[in-house]
Amino acid sequence: MNYYVRKLLFYVVALWTAVTLNFLIPRLMPGNPVDILMAKLQVRGGSVDPAARRAYELLLGTGGDESLLSQYFAYLGNMLTGDFGVSVSVFPAEVSEVIASSLPWTIVLVGLATLLSFLLGIALGAIVGWKRGTWLDTLVPATTVLAAVPYFWLALILAAVFATTLGWFPLSGGYDVTLTPGWNAEFIGSAVYHGILPALTIVVSSVGGWLLGMRNMTVSAASEDYVLTARAKGLRDSRIMIRYAARNAVLPSVAGFAISLGFVVSGSIITEQVFSYPGIGSKLLQAVQNNDYALMQGIFLVITVAVLAANLAVDLLYGLIDARTRARV
Amino acid sequence: MTTLEVTGLVKDYVIRSGLRRATLRAVDGVSFELRPGRTVALVGESGSGKSTVARMIARLEEPTSGRITVTTPDGRRVDDRTYRDHVQMIFQDPFASLNPFHTVQHHLVRPLRLHHRDASWPAVRHLLERVNLKPAEDFAARRPHELSGGQRQRVAIARALAPGARVVVADEPVSMLDVSIRLDILSLLAELQREETLAVLYITHDLATARHFSDEILVMYRGRVVERGPADDVILRPRHPYTRLLAAAAPNPDARGRSLDLDVPESFDTTETYDHYQASR
Amino acid sequence: MTNPGPVTKTIVDKRAGGRWRAVLPAWSPKLGIGLGLVVLIALFGLLGPLFTGDPSAVRDIGLTSPSGDHLLGTTQTGQDVLAQLTHATRGSLQIGLLVGVLATVLSAIFGIIGSYAGGALDEVFSLFSNVALVIPGLPLVIVIAGFVPADQRGSWTIAVVLALTGWAAAARVLRAQTLSLRNRDYVAAARVSGEKTWRVICVEILPNLLPILASQFVFAVILAILNEAGLSFLGLGASNSSTLGTMLYYAQNGFALQLDAWWWFVPPGLIIALFGCGLALINFSIDEIINPQLRTGHARQNDSDVTAAKPSSGNRSAVLTVTGLDVVYRADPPVHAVRDVSLTLGRGEILGLAGESGCGKTTLAYAINRLHRPPAQVTAGSVVLHDRDGQDIDVLALDAERLRTFRWSKLSMVFQGAMNALNPVTPVRAQLEDVLTTHRPDMSKQERRSRCAEVFRRVGVDPSRLDSYAHELSGGMRQRVMIAMAMLLEPQVMIMDEPTTALDVVVQRGILREILRLRDEMAFAVIFITHDLPLLLEISDRIAVMRSGEVVEYATADEIHRRPRHPYTRQLLRSFPSLTGERGLFAMSTPERETS
Repeated sequence: MNYYVRKLLFYVVALWTAVTLNFLIPRLMPGNPVDILMAKLQVRGGSVDPAARRAYELLLGTGGDESLLSQYFAYLGNMLTGDFGVSVSVFPAEVSEVIASSLPWTIVLVGLATLLSFLLGIALGAIVGWKRGTWLDTLVPATTVLAAVPYFWLALILAAVFATTLGWFPLSGGYDVTLTPGWNAEFIGSAVYHGILPALTIVVSSVGGWLLGMRNMTVSAASEDYVLTARAKGLRDSRIMIRYAARNAVLPSVAGFAISLGFVVSGSIITEQVFSYPGIGSKLLQAVQNNDYALMQGIFLVITVAVLAANLAVDLLYGLIDARTRARV
Repeated sequence: MTTLEVTGLVKDYVIRSGLRRATLRAVDGVSFELRPGRTVALVGESGSGKSTVARMIARLEEPTSGRITVTTPDGRRVDDRTYRDHVQMIFQDPFASLNPFHTVQHHLVRPLRLHHRDASWPAVRHLLERVNLKPAEDFAARRPHELSGGQRQRVAIARALAPGARVVVADEPVSMLDVSIRLDILSLLAELQREETLAVLYITHDLATARHFSDEILVMYRGRVVERGPADDVILRPRHPYTRLLAAAAPNPDARGRSLDLDVPESFDTTETYDHYQASR
Repeated sequence: MTNPGPVTKTIVDKRAGGRWRAVLPAWSPKLGIGLGLVVLIALFGLLGPLFTGDPSAVRDIGLTSPSGDHLLGTTQTGQDVLAQLTHATRGSLQIGLLVGVLATVLSAIFGIIGSYAGGALDEVFSLFSNVALVIPGLPLVIVIAGFVPADQRGSWTIAVVLALTGWAAAARVLRAQTLSLRNRDYVAAARVSGEKTWRVICVEILPNLLPILASQFVFAVILAILNEAGLSFLGLGASNSSTLGTMLYYAQNGFALQLDAWWWFVPPGLIIALFGCGLALINFSIDEIINPQLRTGHARQNDSDVTAAKPSSGNRSAVLTVTGLDVVYRADPPVHAVRDVSLTLGRGEILGLAGESGCGKTTLAYAINRLHRPPAQVTAGSVVLHDRDGQDIDVLALDAERLRTFRWSKLSMVFQGAMNALNPVTPVRAQLEDVLTTHRPDMSKQERRSRCAEVFRRVGVDPSRLDSYAHELSGGMRQRVMIAMAMLLEPQVMIMDEPTTALDVVVQRGILREILRLRDEMAFAVIFITHDLPLLLEISDRIAVMRSGEVVEYATADEIHRRPRHPYTRQLLRSFPSLTGERGLFAMSTPERETS
């Protein structure tokens, strides 16, 4: 089977698993989430129209007269049309609206920070691995400290130092609240300014992992025969490092992207919370604290889809940079 | 006497490529007989299927069709349960065939126990001394990484002898060893074979040792036996073009470069087996 | 396998190696610091609560900074931070250990059993692990925790949920390793001995997986502590639990940050970081067992103390002169890999270098081109290349840049097993053109292309193969590509290290014929390294036989064939029985002629 077809199929299965998990979890848990939700909705003064109740029931489980299977198919239908119900914590907004408004923040912040940390880690890792036996080796244990630091704690420290004590950066938020969001220089500048500390947190705490993995693979690649051949060929050291050692060493890092992305996303959720960043992570916690089950599940699905999509993109890229995967049956 | 008979052995590998399935016939209708005190050499290049035959006889692979039957001296057929009491194998790479985690003693005690034989220290010492690993006390306590390649292969031979097997399959037993100790190991095998009247299947790509070490040679090419006969007949008077090519390709110091000029056809006819036994009839 | 370098051969660890020698990490400062950190923090969590008071005792002193009474100050309700810290450390360690064990067991079940069984079970287990891997863990944990009412969230619930979302990566690693171990010959040998499947897994495979299991366990513990801390920090941890994460949760909600109460929020995070760092350092040492290449390298190369022998000059017919070359592996004790070797290579000559593994022939070849790496060091001797234009190049004296331009243009190499000598991820064309762009920068793209095509044609490979990757070529084809690459700059010397060893004899013959023909056409000299003495007798002009780093016999091929003088040469020659000579080498049973 073609490499790409196999990958696509795999992600379809993964997506289906996530959607099904989302369906099953509330049904396996104690308590009756629908009643809690409806009660909350009434407190907010929302009219409990049958359609809203129906959407919740499909998401969270009904009183019991409908068969699980027909609930499941109706639920799948709702998921396909993007109908996740109404949010109670941001009433009367639809869950999909809440997600749509907060998702771009997270995608830009986490996406850019992850990309930056990946590129930085790969570059540094290749250099440290290539120059083995020099003072650069001492960097290696130092990175483990970074990797072992809890994201949110690092965020707290950075906030304490750079925001509270030095006052260089804002302590929280995604932009200056006096501005209205829009595509103007002032707003974008403010957003970037607010994004620096959260991004720094993500980069600092994830760069160590990439660096270490890349360093180890570079060390292995450096002892391969093709590197020896490249040296015998009289190529320049930098060229051997990049074209021969790093080019091969980067493959496992890319292949391991899936594992690492999970960590980064998890860390980012908590980082957003520390900085009250208007992203999807903060919304998820807000939903959890308010028992806003519909929003909670919607966000979980969206995060999962985003992670799966990122992994799929990386897998496709991997197929491009390693000819051997395409040949493999 | 214990004999092993291989009849019409076939092994297909299924290669899946998407929804397409192709079968690769690695071994195609191989038949021969191993008898006590005799060595049969299976000669071929990589991919000829010779190692697959070995692995099927050692029951590491299931034949697609064909039979492998072992008969004891009293004429009984050996059943599946006791098959491994009778048939053992020596692997190619002694660096890989011994578990780095275990001592030499462990490697010998286990098969002794598994085949309900005396697993006491004198029995282990006897085995080690049979393969010239002396002092046995010293070697028994060692781990594979503390042994040279030749010593490892001796342990592997002792392990194959431990169950008391009368049929031994040796899959390229010396090709991973340094050249100067290859003949020592083969001599040891020859000696054990004579003393214990073992039936030996010697698998190799090297025509020269095949000729000197065995009584009968089968030449394999792409899964089929293309030529068979007494060792000298096959090597000195090869009849199949492929055997001739192999014989001509062996280094010949007297020729000084002339033997390099070989005419290599794309493939050979495999429909016929040149059988020297039938020819000499 | 033929040339595992002298060091690995000679320095066998003779220390009383117990059963665990292969799976225990070697002592290193990193391991020491790691163990120290882990033990200290574990003791702190284990014994600390016995000495500090009640962590939840409320005092009316409010938020105070560290003092004699309260070494780490108090919280805003006057609780002692140190007392809280000891209890919280204990709580975090407990959950870390619990989740570590659970996750490792899960990963072992899915990783090892599936891959050993193979077939459909493996497919299902592997798919399951991969799906579990790509579904983001923490969001899932948050959602699950969100559904469980706070009063029903016990430590076990949290531990099980964390384990369920954290085992997959380890399972994938274990699967890959088990797949490789499963195909080892010693596993096959155990099966042939008649071992039962469970025993093969537990006794033959599992011990060799221990380093990986240990490393994955350590990793799972780090991850669990971090994740639990994150969950608790969000207020979603186990109810009534006291971990470092809950401490930070209270610190955050008590505005510790805004009040500059560093003593409240710094220590918990620091303990997590230090504990994680300690475990990671231990993991380094474990990784070094799994992959010995990762051991910290030796000091940089230093060839300054070469006692240079006088380069012999004036030998016009020679192209390369090696005089009194010594190569030493700076190990403890030092290993003399090459000892006082002197060779002369005539123009267009084929010089055979024969010897067995560990005799120093490959080290010698590398040293001639200065490709040897630390700890190998040239301690004496000289290597001089007599250039076509009459200039003598003292190779050992070249500075880095001139050495670089010297390589390949004057002297190129063809390595053993071309499988690994070609970069697997770029087409072979890129690897050939690399040489030209570096050494002939003024060549146009068109010229480079046609030059590559030309050398391919010379070695009998279709130029369309230039766009192939190494894995798309057969072994013989790869070796031809290597030879084509070696010819690109028309060097005067080619060193070939076992160029045909891994090939079938018929293919091997074809390559040898090609080498001889090209040598005749282009008049380069060849140093041909192999253990196959009969082959050398056939193709080379002169032969040097090496043993333990020394050349024990150096004569023309004819001389060695007819009158080998050194006993070792004779032994080597005897090791190759003649195909057509007398039988009786093994005193076989009398050949019976019989019909069947």
